Amino acid sequence: MMYEQEQKLEIETTKGNGRAVGFLRPLISAYSTLPLHGMTAIPGKISGALMVVDSIEDAVPLIHGPVGCAFQRKINPFRPYLPFYETPCTDMNDVDVVYGGEDKLSLGIKETYEKYHPNLIVVITTCPSDLIGDDFKAVIEETKAKGDIGCDVVYTTGDFVKSKPVGYQDALYAITDQMLCNGKGIGMEKGEIERNEGSVNIITFPIHGAGLKTAEMASVLSEIGIEINKICFDHTTVKDLYDLPKADLTITDYPMVWAKLMKERFGVDHYEILAFDRFKETRDPELFSPYGIEGSARVLMEIAQRLGKEGEAEEVIERRKKVATERLSKAKVGLDGKKVAIMGGIHGIGMTLLRDVGMMASIIIYKTQVLESRLTSEAINEMLDINVKLARKYGSDPEVLVNPTIEEEIKAIKETGTDLVISMGATAHKYNKEGIRTFNPMDFMLLHQRIGFECPIELAILLKEALKKPQRRNPLLSMLKYDPYRTNLIPEWAALADMFGTIRQGAVGDKVVAGMYGM
Amino acid sequence: MNEIFDPEELKIRDGLVYDPTQDCKLVGAARALSGVKAAVTIVHGRPGCHCGILLLRALGSNQNDIRIVSSGFRAQDMVYGAEGRLAGTIRLCYNNFKPSLIAALNCSAPVIMGDDVEGVVHAMKEEIPAEIITLSTGGYEGPAWIGYEEALAELTRYMVLGETESGKVNLIGFKQDDVKAYADLLEIERMLSSQGININSVLTNSSFEELKNAPKASLNVVLGGDGLESAKIMHEKFGMPYVITPYPFGLDNSIEFLESVTKGLSREVNEEFIAAEKDRIKERIERIFLFLQGIYDMSVAVVGDGGRAYDLAKFLSDELCLNVKVLAITSRNHISLDKTKTNDDYFETLLIEPDRFEMNKVIKSKGVEMIFGSSMEKKLAWELGVPLFRIFYPVIDEVSISDVPYAGFTGTTHLTERIINSVINNYIEV
Repeated sequence: MMYEQEQKLEIETTKGNGRAVGFLRPLISAYSTLPLHGMTAIPGKISGALMVVDSIEDAVPLIHGPVGCAFQRKINPFRPYLPFYETPCTDMNDVDVVYGGEDKLSLGIKETYEKYHPNLIVVITTCPSDLIGDDFKAVIEETKAKGDIGCDVVYTTGDFVKSKPVGYQDALYAITDQMLCNGKGIGMEKGEIERNEGSVNIITFPIHGAGLKTAEMASVLSEIGIEINKICFDHTTVKDLYDLPKADLTITDYPMVWAKLMKERFGVDHYEILAFDRFKETRDPELFSPYGIEGSARVLMEIAQRLGKEGEAEEVIERRKKVATERLSKAKVGLDGKKVAIMGGIHGIGMTLLRDVGMMASIIIYKTQVLESRLTSEAINEMLDINVKLARKYGSDPEVLVNPTIEEEIKAIKETGTDLVISMGATAHKYNKEGIRTFNPMDFMLLHQRIGFECPIELAILLKEALKKPQRRNPLLSMLKYDPYRTNLIPEWAALADMFGTIRQGAVGDKVVAGMYGM
Repeated sequence: MNEIFDPEELKIRDGLVYDPTQDCKLVGAARALSGVKAAVTIVHGRPGCHCGILLLRALGSNQNDIRIVSSGFRAQDMVYGAEGRLAGTIRLCYNNFKPSLIAALNCSAPVIMGDDVEGVVHAMKEEIPAEIITLSTGGYEGPAWIGYEEALAELTRYMVLGETESGKVNLIGFKQDDVKAYADLLEIERMLSSQGININSVLTNSSFEELKNAPKASLNVVLGGDGLESAKIMHEKFGMPYVITPYPFGLDNSIEFLESVTKGLSREVNEEFIAAEKDRIKERIERIFLFLQGIYDMSVAVVGDGGRAYDLAKFLSDELCLNVKVLAITSRNHISLDKTKTNDDYFETLLIEPDRFEMNKVIKSKGVEMIFGSSMEKKLAWELGVPLFRIFYPVIDEVSISDVPYAGFTGTTHLTERIINSVINNYIEV
């Protein structure tokens, strides 16, 4: 789906009047180069929890803590371009820290209900309320028992789960555990739930365009005969959440603790698109490449198999593949054999997508500095191998550069006759200044990358556009001095990143990330 | 007493639930300390506090001047304490940045746990050849403006009495992460220079050494009342007089600013300069007088901090002749409440540190046609379909790197230009 169609769809589906749709893409991009997550800072649990609450249209957060925990989190590192405007709090003060904040919480829940009339209040606890030992569960139960709260109330502390992002996972777990399993919207017992047999839930991270990113997957599954029970988070309401246990399978991007709880409590199975768990067992790098024609076919078939629909799926997938492949063969004319330099790692445009569009990986560049303080060298090496193995499997023989300087990169790019560098917006100017064209994978990942057969066609069109882009002869960004290794950062930020890496070394929570990647 | 403003229209929050219009003590202190050049601020707290401040700095101030680091406080430290981590971070800070000042801001978690941060600093005095200060900035200890006042007050401890230089002033209450801060400072310098007055140091936009020598100035100029506590301490400790001036938004405030400062220095104001500036403004206003006539009486809301919002509202009402239906003071200072007792009548409804939900309701009910606020009023402006003029902290969706100010005589024309453009730029289908 290209820009015009996408924007049309956005206008039709976006809340409000859709006036600002044309600004959305550059707005998101403008904030996408912030070197925060894991580089210079770690977002706190409140930010992740707010992402969940904000994505439920009729839910309101209640931050049980001081004003800063509410005001500062309006600006959210997961979505810096769009503040969270509603973050009521209990305005905890020093008296509450001494005598407890339970009364305030109780009154706060009541006031929040009266003011906002939500269907769900998610109490997000903070350092002060956690530390003083407020009994959140008891307060919520007692407050609800008084009978003047006409909505669900759950609380998230960040302690229910250990998986990252903690606040995000914990809030979803809390909703599942405290609301879906105990709420009035569905029966407690598995048997009482009116099942939507053979249906699936499709769950994506609640960033912009979730609906668009799942549209093709939903369409293919529907054609196979698999009903879509719910797509989250896309204008999701509390009622939608109550409908989640009706499905037979929940599809998530990566392992989610709440999905496992759904299996435990409701018998709703789960399927992860990025199969970290299976990678641990098989070490099959394809499991990290779910995108592209073959990757999507595999994922769709695996989902169908879970629901006993492989027979129907075979025909649908083959037909869709055929149509897409024919369109792709036209779209990729001019790309065949073009050489591309890519940044290695788990994330980024996968080798499968490059293979689909007929391009060859001539160079793989690895920047391991961020990972060194958080992963063992074995884990890093294994991660590096994934890209190389796949590139070789698909007929490329890339030169591998580990932590090169920009000069070393440019030299290799020129020597190998590389046509295009897949480089984040932050570093593109360095290549452009040398006459090398670039393609911004962040835009692609945020706005296009998804399971489905259309995605490689869009990529081919975008890559062809990139190869035709005018030369940027004198980027102002080139006037600045950059760190020789963290080439997207000026020295001031590189110093912050170095310090953060050192301070964060060995953090228990970070090892979970390593584990998640199967290392 | 204000004839338009009915005291009944002064609304101070009464409910418990608070969707805040202001940040916590930590952010106020961090803002003050960020203006100490080459100083490093350590956020001794959970990652969210550090990430939040870093994000605010990265989006709302100079992106090449972020000197905020985390002490790496972790979950298990809630049990065992994080004094060792703080010590390690101080050491790393010194080795990496060689700062003249390291400020450790103690957040809610370590404050409640009882981390002995003063003890850590004391133990490191000999090892680290930089001054190290600590501030208790638990979020529950108060709002941002208290943190700001306390941080400036703490800086006065390092000031040393020197030979007073006549014609030199310190500016207090300047925040370098306010929108157009640097351009405003240049304009204020120019205005003072026209009176033969130079700036000695700026609290805060000076090096630690310059701040130490703040007592060399003859007068402290407290902008809009922000940082008043430090001026009082300097008065007590060094005998330094101070004046509280308006933030110089508009012509009248700019003149009052100059008159207050010159009076504080017992000088005559340079009237020729003011006359020339007035002429310049008049000439510019003539070029757009039809539009200025056109927006006459437009209803607006002003949502900002006490140090600047009163003065902007006064300019909008007195000079541009807009109708300030709502003045919402998002964050007070020591003189904010006194300002409601003056005879000025430049606003209709006054809200002091309101709950955002209630504030929005009031603004929506007043037929407001333009909002002067921060990035936090973006959604409200969108809902009302009116322009948002970003002029108060925090502004995270507009950058300002040009030298065109909002303050002073030059700022008067610039503000006027921007306001008119904000109205006539809009596309509307009729």
